[in-house]
This record gives sequence, structure tokens and C-alpha cells, in this order.
Amino acid sequence: MEQTQAKTRERPKPFVLPEYCKGCGRCIEACPKHCIQLGTEINPESGLVPIIIDLAICNGCGLCYMACPEPYGLEKALVELMPDVEELDRHAYFGDAKPERPQPQPIPDTVVPLPKMEPLVTKGSYASAIGALLAGCRHFFGYPITPSTEGAELMAKLLPKLDGVFLQAVSEVATVNLMYGCGGAGLPCMTFTSSPGFSLMLEGVSYMIGAELPGVFVNVMRGGPGLGNIGPEQADIKLACRGLGHGNTHAVTLAPSSPQEMLDLTMLSFELTFKYRNPVIILADGYLGQMTGRVTLPDHMIKPGIPEWAVYGDEMHRGNLICSIQLSEPDLELHNLHLNKKYQQMIANEQRADLYYCEDAEILIVAANTPSRMAKGAVQQLREQGVRAGLFRPVTLWPFPVDYLRPLLNQVERIIVVEASNGQLEDELRLALSHAEAPNLPRIEHVRHFGGVLPQQQEIIDKVASREMLMA
Amino acid sequence: MADNIPVATKALKEDFASDQDVRWCPGCGDYAILAQMKKVLPEIGIPREKVVFISGIGCASRFPYYINSYGFHTIHGRAPAVATGIKLANPELSVWIITGDGDSLSIGGNHLIHLCRRNLDVNVILFNNQIYGLTKGQYSPTSPLGKVTKTTPYGSIDRPFNPISLVLSAGATFVARTIDRDTKHMAEIFKRAAAHKGCSFVEVYQNCNIFNDGAYRLLTEPETKFDQVLYLEDGKPLIYGKEKNRALRSNGFEVETLELNESVENQDLPVHRENSESEAYAQWLSRIGDVPGLPVPVGVFRAVQRETYEQLSEQQLAGAIQKKGPGDLKQLFISGDTWKVE
Repeated sequence: MEQTQAKTRERPKPFVLPEYCKGCGRCIEACPKHCIQLGTEINPESGLVPIIIDLAICNGCGLCYMACPEPYGLEKALVELMPDVEELDRHAYFGDAKPERPQPQPIPDTVVPLPKMEPLVTKGSYASAIGALLAGCRHFFGYPITPSTEGAELMAKLLPKLDGVFLQAVSEVATVNLMYGCGGAGLPCMTFTSSPGFSLMLEGVSYMIGAELPGVFVNVMRGGPGLGNIGPEQADIKLACRGLGHGNTHAVTLAPSSPQEMLDLTMLSFELTFKYRNPVIILADGYLGQMTGRVTLPDHMIKPGIPEWAVYGDEMHRGNLICSIQLSEPDLELHNLHLNKKYQQMIANEQRADLYYCEDAEILIVAANTPSRMAKGAVQQLREQGVRAGLFRPVTLWPFPVDYLRPLLNQVERIIVVEASNGQLEDELRLALSHAEAPNLPRIEHVRHFGGVLPQQQEIIDKVASREMLMA
Repeated sequence: MADNIPVATKALKEDFASDQDVRWCPGCGDYAILAQMKKVLPEIGIPREKVVFISGIGCASRFPYYINSYGFHTIHGRAPAVATGIKLANPELSVWIITGDGDSLSIGGNHLIHLCRRNLDVNVILFNNQIYGLTKGQYSPTSPLGKVTKTTPYGSIDRPFNPISLVLSAGATFVARTIDRDTKHMAEIFKRAAAHKGCSFVEVYQNCNIFNDGAYRLLTEPETKFDQVLYLEDGKPLIYGKEKNRALRSNGFEVETLELNESVENQDLPVHRENSESEAYAQWLSRIGDVPGLPVPVGVFRAVQRETYEQLSEQQLAGAIQKKGPGDLKQLFISGDTWKVE
């Protein structure tokens, strides 16, 4: 009897090195005494949850460290008295420590000046692709979908010559995950898609936001819901502004209204997506993708660097971790607070709007994308008639440029939101005004169309006149 | 009153024609497939209201509009999932999935293999034109290596799927291939597919005359087709050639080409067995067309009987009721404060 006890005491007991344990649970299954269980805390170094051992009931059978698949996860103590892990002399156990890993250093972008060139005459989707190339994007992933495919086709043609990668994915679900991988490596990448495809990408967009990865999504919006048609619509505003997959998500959402802006805003998107480590959405519409116009090239292009957080696959970046999983509740709350802080910064810094005849406007027409072109025409015509109308064109749909709108509210009597959706732009406007606690809101009216039909200039003028007549 | 009840009469080809304008490009291979389908459906003898056509995305997916039956133009790649739902809700329906190489092998690849695996009694007609036609000419999962398209300006480096091999591995119980230009053969194959109980898969080589014209030229032109196509016939040897003077047989896992003469008689050759127990034979056969210089087999690769998903599902339900008695939801709700799930 005594002999057995003595033997038990001699057997080395296990100890866990929390930073190496992945919490796979094989030791838990192997332990006949049930003294091992999965921990509750995530190890900050590994990002995983290691096991915990109750040594009081351990008989040192050794089955656990035999079951452990990790080289250093679970070890047998060499001395009878288990040393405290914190005070462990690693050198004695594991030999020479590896030399200190070099700290990742950011490699900054380089701005390469461009000579002054004649403007191009090109399609909106081509202009966007050119903007991406000038911003240093050399990785394109996408799946053909009308009316966005031309952008991808141009990328397929140009990227191989520029030592870049074009890959036609097997679906939009694959596309967004290809972008997750590329963005994780710290490289600029993008896709062109259209509404049904964008719906499919949203799961991945949520993961990218959670893992704080850059990526530019150009959604050339078409008619919906469902298969809909291939005409222009603006019915993905709620998706981009309020519904980027699950979780507390937001992304800067830009709304171009000309081929020139397709280029400029695409370049800006790449800047913002790295600045905030967050995807950026460009919402164009079916006409903007196809619309041909004069496009002036910028005076510079970007040779992208590598950010310090990238998982680039070299020694320097070896310690970086990219994931969106945070199993402990307090940790996930902290992560959300961190993301929310970024959203607040975006709201504070990234509002953009184009104001046309707004300084003395009594009637403010609010429109984005192609409908803003009709609205602009309407404003010109109304001004000729002596009506004090102005166009407020949000360039960022999220954050809504309410800071530019608020100062106008003192003089504006009516707001008319012109859009190709069932009030999704108007909802953004109303929500932004509500958050801004704007008092004495003017009357908000609208001109709306759906399914590929766009609001026309005359309709807008008629809308303005309908009330003017009423007042007279 | 009895006079008002419509008398079921045998449907005609015209009865399956819908009032929709067909919006395929002039010269498209899809027209031939549509015509054969309209011809075959009355011959199968299923009333129009018991037929449902389901499609996903692509040019092929306009098919349900052009057949006067029930139909459903569903979501990109998801037709097999929708069809599964329809078949399980109403197993009496004759369910046809009309799809293309992009729809079923790219965005819907996942759904297709699971449809085959479950052996649901549905018919899949895959229009394979080796290109994305509806989005105007990008490469597809069946485009050959080196294919130049709008998204592969320097040639495709993706290896193509062999759809027959894929569905054989996934467990489809009726697997066949036909060509749009051979309408007689196509009609026969459609009839066989409809008659088969279980997951029937038919690959139709279909010419896209706008974005990928001539993809199957060698298989359809009179000068070449006899040397390029091998028509599979159950119980007959693998013979091809204009004079029916060439044959294939296996030598281990390799394919051997034989010139038939006095020394090699037909009876010396192994014969094609659609219902071969092992799937390996059909797999061997399906890969022959990938080998340069060998003919492309066309016809029924495999036809075996296995219990269908809906049969197993019904059996399981009957078994559960037999074992535990019929369930009573009301009784369950009022049975007490706690339920035990066991």
C-alpha cells in the first residue's frame, strides 16, 4: 500500500503552458480522473482558450501529456514540485530561447507623381477600375454579374501586365473570402459586383469588419428585390448603410454621380479602407457603370506599402493575428467599443457632400448617384424660373453628411428627396437629422421610382411646382 | 355538372409551348433542346400540371418561361435546393432542373453535388456551352485550359470540370450525355431520364454561337464526328468510326484503341453495362473524352436503381409513427410544464 503511494508521488504531474495550448480538449478526454477542463479566459498571446488542470486530484498517470498534440502545450514536470508557470525557467526546460522576433514596421505608401495628361473619355466602371489601379490595387477578385462585369474585364486585361492578379471566383461568396485573405496580407484589393452579388458577400463583409480588414466593394446597384432586372436602382442603400451582414457593422459608403467621381472616389476608397482598417463600399447604379464621360486623371498614383498589422507571411509579421472571433464576452464588448470608436471617427471626419446653389435655397433637393443629375437639371431650370432651389448631394451616404445639411435648415422650407428606391436615402437623411437633434425640420417630401425607372427632371420640377401652386 | 369537368386528354407538343417570346440569340443551341423537350413531354405522358421546371441563372435558365407547365426561375446556383424543397413537399411532381455550366458548377456547385448524393427523384439537364453567355462571354468551370475569354485575355489557367465524372462521384444514379445537334439522341436520353427513378443527370453539349461558337465543332461536323463521338449502347461494345471499325477497351486502367478486323471480332470485346455495380467503370468511361485522340462518349454512362431520398424519407416517417404512435401537438402542448426531449 505504502509502496503504491510512494510511486504515485514519484510520477511527474503535468503542467500547461497556456500560450501554447490550443484548448483542443484531447487531454480532457484522456484524463481518467477528470481533473482537466477547458478554461474560461482567452490567452492574450495565442488568442485561444487553454485548459486548466486541478492538480489536487491528479495522480500523474501521464495520459494527458501523451494525448497532447502540441509540442509545448502540456508537459510533464521534471521536478517533483511543480514550478509556477510565471516563474518558469524556460531555458532549463526548452533550451536556448529563440532570438527576439523583429517588431513589424509599417512600410509606408509611396506617392508617384504623374505627368499632366489629356483627359480620358471612358465608362464609369472602367474609370473605377483605373482609379483602383492608380491607388495601387493589384488584386482583383470577382464574379460576372450584369451590369458590373466590364470593370472586371478591364482588370483581367490590365492586371497581368502590371504583375497583378485577376481571379474570377466561383461565386460572390468565394469573392469576399478571397478579399478577406488578400486584405489580411495587408494588400489593397477590390471587387465589382451588383445587387444580388452584394447580398451574397455580406457574410464576408461582416467578418472583414470584425477582423478589421481593408477591401473596396463597388456595387453597381440594379433593380430588385430578388433577381429583379439589370436597370439602375438605389435600393441597396439600406444594405450598405444599415445592414452590412450581422453584428455592429458600418463602412464608409460613397455615392459617385459621374465617371470622374467613379475614378476619384475609388482612389479615395483605398485610402480610407487602409486608414480605418475597414471595408469601404462604393454604391454606383446601373447607368453610372455604363455612362461614358470625360475623366481627368490625377496628378499622382500610389505605390502601396505594407501595414504593420498585416499577416504578410514573413518573419517580421509572424506574430500578427487576424480573426473576428472573441469568445469571452468582455473581450468582445471591448472589441465592439473599439469598432464603434472607429465608426465615430468616420462620422466626424469623413462626411462629404456636394452643394449646388444651396447658399440661399428655400427648396432643397436631395439626391445621389444618377438621379442627382436629373435633380441638378431641375435646379438649373427652377433657378431660371426664379425659384430658389438648391441641390444637396451626399457623396458619403454613410456617414450621412448632416454637418453640411444642418446650417441650411434655417432657410430651407422644403426638402425633396429624389431617389430610385422606396425611401432608403430619405431614411438616412431623417435618421441623421434625428441624431443631430435638428429642431424645426422643414417638410420632407419625395420623388421616387423603382425597378430601373429613374426620376425625371420634369417630375422634380412638377413636384416643386405642386406645392408652390398650393401656396399661391 | 359532370359535363363541366374537363376531360383529361393526351397533351400535345403544342400544349407545352408557352405564350412567351423566346429570347435566345438566333442560332443558339438552346432552341434544339427546347424543341426536343416539348416533343418528349407529351410522350412521357405526365400531365402539364404535374410537371415543374426549375432554373437558376444564365441563358438556360430562361427555359421555364418557354414551357407551359409550372416553373420557377430561382436564384443564382440554387435551383437544386429549390427543387429539393418542391420534391419533398410534393413527391408526385415530375421535377426538372434546367441549368448551365456556370449556374450548376460554379456558384451552385455545392448544391448540385448534394442533390446527386441524396438521389432525389429529379432530372437535371445541364446545358454545357463552356462559357458564361448571359454576362457576355467570361470563362466558365468547363472552359478548357488556355481558353481566351473576356476575363481570361491571356488564356484560362483553370482546369475544367468534367461534369459527368463529378456527378458520378457525387452519386447520381442516372448519368448521360447528349449533343444539341443530335436531336433524336437527345429525345431518347430525355425520355430515359424521365423514366428513371432517382437523380437523373443529363449533360447537353450546347453551342453558344455568339460567345463560344464551335466549341463542339469536331463532334458535330459530318467530316469529323464519326471519329470523335462514341455512342454508348447498353450491352454493346464500345465501337465508333464511320465504318464502325474502331473500338475501345480497357487494358488495366488504360484505354486501348483497336482497329476491328478478322483477328479482333466483336465478341472479343467487353460490352457497355449501364448498370455495372461498380461506379469505377463509368468513371473510367467518363474520362475517355478528356484524352486527346480518343472519342467523346455520348449516351447513358450509368443507370442503376437505388432508393430515392423521398422513398427513404417516407419510410422513416412511417417507421417513426409505427414505433412511437402518431404525434399529437395539442396533447404535447398541454402535457405539463416541462417537456423531455429524448
